Amino acid sequence: MVDTRPFLPVSSSDGSNPSEPLANRCKTMKVLLSIFFGLLVVGLFAALLASNVTENGHGSLASSTTAKPEPLRRVSRGPAAGVSEKSNWLFGKDDENGVAFPWNNSMLSWQRTAFHFQPERNWMNDPNGPLFYKGWYHFFYQYNPHAPVWGDIVWGHAVSKDLIHWLHLPLAMVADKTYDKSGVWTGSATFLPDGKIVMLYTGSDAEAVQVQNLAYPADHSDPLLINWVKFTGNPVLVPPPGILSKDFRDPTTAWLTSEGKWRFAIGSKINKTGIALVYDTKDFITYEKLDGLLRAVDGTGMWECVDFFPVSKTEENGLDTSVNGPDVKHVMKVSLDDDKNDYYAIGTYHEKNATFIPDDPTIDVGIGLRYDYGVYYAAKTFYDQNKNRRVLWGWIKESDSEAADVKKGWASVQSIPRTILLDQKTGTHLLQWPVEEIDSLRLNSYEFNQVKVQAGSVVPLEVGPATQLDILAEFEIDKEALEKATGSNVTFSCSSSGGTVERGALGPFGLLVLADDSLSEQTPVYFYIAKGSDGNLKTFFCNDQSRSSEASDVNKQIYGSMVPVLEGENLSLRVLVDHSIIESFAQGGRTVITSRAYPTKAIYGAAKLFLFNNATEAGVSASLRIWQMNSAFIRPFPNLDNKSQ
Amino acid sequence: MKNTFSLALLQLSFCFTFFALTHISALELHGHGASLIETTCQRTPFYNLCVSTLRSDPRSSGADVAGLARIGADKLKAKATATLRQITALLKVTKDPNLTTALRECVDYYNAIVKYDIPEAVEAVVKGDPKFGVEGATDAANEADACGRGFKNQPRFPIYDSNKVVHDLSAVVASIVQLLL
Repeated sequence: MVDTRPFLPVSSSDGSNPSEPLANRCKTMKVLLSIFFGLLVVGLFAALLASNVTENGHGSLASSTTAKPEPLRRVSRGPAAGVSEKSNWLFGKDDENGVAFPWNNSMLSWQRTAFHFQPERNWMNDPNGPLFYKGWYHFFYQYNPHAPVWGDIVWGHAVSKDLIHWLHLPLAMVADKTYDKSGVWTGSATFLPDGKIVMLYTGSDAEAVQVQNLAYPADHSDPLLINWVKFTGNPVLVPPPGILSKDFRDPTTAWLTSEGKWRFAIGSKINKTGIALVYDTKDFITYEKLDGLLRAVDGTGMWECVDFFPVSKTEENGLDTSVNGPDVKHVMKVSLDDDKNDYYAIGTYHEKNATFIPDDPTIDVGIGLRYDYGVYYAAKTFYDQNKNRRVLWGWIKESDSEAADVKKGWASVQSIPRTILLDQKTGTHLLQWPVEEIDSLRLNSYEFNQVKVQAGSVVPLEVGPATQLDILAEFEIDKEALEKATGSNVTFSCSSSGGTVERGALGPFGLLVLADDSLSEQTPVYFYIAKGSDGNLKTFFCNDQSRSSEASDVNKQIYGSMVPVLEGENLSLRVLVDHSIIESFAQGGRTVITSRAYPTKAIYGAAKLFLFNNATEAGVSASLRIWQMNSAFIRPFPNLDNKSQ
Repeated sequence: MKNTFSLALLQLSFCFTFFALTHISALELHGHGASLIETTCQRTPFYNLCVSTLRSDPRSSGADVAGLARIGADKLKAKATATLRQITALLKVTKDPNLTTALRECVDYYNAIVKYDIPEAVEAVVKGDPKFGVEGATDAANEADACGRGFKNQPRFPIYDSNKVVHDLSAVVASIVQLLL
């Protein structure tokens, strides 16, 4: 950049002879002066040139209009600035020839889910402050009351007796104070020993500084918790020194320390290192920031929606957030702003210095396991004291275009709430499973026993309408083929594979959901077994969106991950199909994938279900139980007195 | 005596030149306005468009990256609004039914861009949740692309130029907002 051409003057050989007469001396002066000024001019000229040298390879001409307009490049989300493609939208490989899809009302209205939580219209994102209180499960959420895109965020609210049948309530909190004028953002609830609730949440204040605020129910005797009061002394926390004003959000539920103080964490970053700050408080009004960090991991970027909770090593129930002890492991979870995925790590919490040490630092927070290998973000758990379990919520956004969201008038759903437990068999994974209350939606069932699906075949499953289904399936793969298959060094990954058209000896095989008769549209949920050169088998669990719709303006990526399969385990699968959302659980919830599908033909009565096996050598045998699912009839709370807000 | 004097003059001129050069290079290194625009635009897919767009706004000389993102979004909004007006004007005079269909679809896409995508991007930048800004701006680029596809099999594409600018500028804005993550 800097022109460092040395500017040493050529040695002046102006040797003046002291014995020359005075006239010559003046002449010499003139020469020297002219050299001086000459150098000056050249020096300034050089400086001028230096400032122009910053021009680099981008000096190309602007694209000129040609007779035939060149096709515009489809932009993936996470453009040319070297961001990893795997977290971004990838359109179909044929998109050069595809015309953008004209969505009609029939297709768009089919997309609305029947039993997943979503508001009646407009935009939703993060789950907030989930809790159980006086007989009701409460769910709050980030909501835009004005548009089906993010913006003008306030807190929506809904209640349910069973985490499935939700009733909408009025907005819990709006942006009516200076300290949350620019947005009432994500927060978490903590139960005090006397049973009262405090809510800590992030406000984007009038200057767009991120601050933490305290709120609580206006009337603790109201089981519906309709009205909320914001503490008059808000904000209770502002960004501490060294933390930027826009890197301080999403406080966790607090847990008790052995000194009887409340402690919570809040995510942030320092340059590109994701961190979780820790605060102690006695009253949720004044706080003491701890010197250390709960955890920090380089290169992970901003940590949003931090969650930190204990899981039992021995029992199959949930634990209150304050529990600690030898039979307990801790889970630390973060939402990475950079790649829009939720990551967790299992480890140990050291209360003394308020640190979390992962069991395996190679899969530390933000660089290891994910809750869900599809579309799933901003997840948050709560301890459900009603049924002694820990329940997980996760935000599922759309994978279509914002223009389509504008047309249909809404965007985003929540996953079905999941119980979350330590997988005691592996010790390295968590198990997620839809809450048992969802079984109440099951209507008529269909059973299929030991259906043989030969290599390279598709078997239709007659289950009637196939857009609201609960599927339980087990697969057995031909043992001989497993042994005979030749191993290779090639590493497999769902996302970089060719999807279900890429045939291996031992996979892919599984289900085709939301498929039409001609299979022109299909969403495969499947296993792929890869055999290493050492003979070891690795099982992958994937969801292939590449042919889920003929529309070109939807996500066409392939999601998935390796799933641990233990000795003696069959391959097992649970799939919830609910219109445009598919949630799939492998090996009892050891690996989970949520995806969105927007078919244009495989909708309503035209949507079908198939078994498929596209392996080249192995046959599989599948046993399934499939239920039609009822709607959850999510609607506004009936006959609510119009309490002023 | 003469020699010393001439030597001194030469030394002085040398020092002066050297000083001038280092002073200017110091200016470069401290990243004054012009330089930040250039380094930021180098990380977008359309460098020249990025630089000319940002420079055309006087606010850009003192702006940080968030400020540049804001300026880019404002310029994008102006261009998209103008293109939308262009489309609706064309719709009034077009007789060709194929062209009308394509233009009508573009109205839908541009409504989404102007009323939703760009305001979302601006709010995300201003309030500090940039990932939504990347989404909004990327979607705007994709809507412009979708609009363009409607003319694939048409003999004429009357709004090609402005549509391309909206597409490219959206991609630029998305790239700049990405830097805020």
